[in-house]
Amino acid sequence: MQTTHQHAGGGHEHKAAPTVEEITDFEVLEIAVRELAIEHGLFTAEDHRRFTEWAESIGPAAGSRLVAKAWTDPAFKARLLADGTAACKEIGIDWAEPTGFGTPSDYMNFRVLEDTPTLHHVIVCTLCSCYPRPLLGMSPEWYRSTNYRRRLVRWPREVLAEFGLILPPEVEIRVEDSNQKCRFMVLPVRPSGTENWTEEQLAAIVTRDCMIGVALPRPGRTADVHPVHKARHPVHSSPSMRAAE
Amino acid sequence: MSVTSNVDLRPIALLEAIRSEGKSWDVIAPQYGVTNPDPPWKTSLVAMCECLAISGAVPTLDRRRAEDELAQAVYNDVPAPERQLLALVHTMLRRGLVMEGDLADRMRSVRSRLEAA
Repeated sequence: MQTTHQHAGGGHEHKAAPTVEEITDFEVLEIAVRELAIEHGLFTAEDHRRFTEWAESIGPAAGSRLVAKAWTDPAFKARLLADGTAACKEIGIDWAEPTGFGTPSDYMNFRVLEDTPTLHHVIVCTLCSCYPRPLLGMSPEWYRSTNYRRRLVRWPREVLAEFGLILPPEVEIRVEDSNQKCRFMVLPVRPSGTENWTEEQLAAIVTRDCMIGVALPRPGRTADVHPVHKARHPVHSSPSMRAAE
Repeated sequence: MSVTSNVDLRPIALLEAIRSEGKSWDVIAPQYGVTNPDPPWKTSLVAMCECLAISGAVPTLDRRRAEDELAQAVYNDVPAPERQLLALVHTMLRRGLVMEGDLADRMRSVRSRLEAA
């Protein structure tokens, strides 16, 4: 990946640096508190290493495979909707042991919410940040934000529009609130233009956001890119600059 | 709706000093041309939260509630995941799981270790 920044002599391209050449107090704090916690017996270094490996290994690929298989195999889809945890085993995800060493916060009641042309689901955790991690990986920052959690249940149509998903009024929106005992995932409608596609091709357009319900899959859309809106009045612009705009 | 808070929201000097330095990842990463959206310690922090939950030292729900309240009342100008780290350590300090003086000492020794030639 390339990145561009401005020097006194003008802008030019550099390769992205692997990391910063600076040790911040945040980095030091994370190490220090972890070391003390281990010394005090709150957990072991081995526990921490295994959870770190697990956290680094999971992502939304398993969920994408699940949706693609449901789109191409009606019998599997029926099994998935009837018993989500049992069907997940068919793609190698065991909710009882997603980490292989215990499940601190991912429980066994997993339900798949099927969208139709007139019904759209979206998931949230109003209480904290419950999320189907064995299938979707770690939740995005915005999913954990109070902004999303509080506003989605009250104004779902407006919040979805903020993600760029504008649904017609005839489409009913159902918000499903996750909790520590039950996790949800959205099974979107298979988009037109994907006839005769392979499961691999289909999985590529089933992004994380589609399975949360804040986006719809479509051919050519293979990544979750959220629009960044430019500030109308950036903090660094003076009133005189704004007047000149 | 008014909810009585059980979270001790009083600022902690050590964490205030770290916050005021303003060295969050979104500030320093662009300075070095780093495009990775997450700091190198983020996954370790996630794992630490899981470890503390499974041991019962800081249950997930307690941690998230504390994080919500601290994010609004104390660390409202700190971006994630630095805010998550500060809130977790704040909670651990207030619960007496670690002591502020011990943590300050350990931070000094960790820094000298990391900066050793």
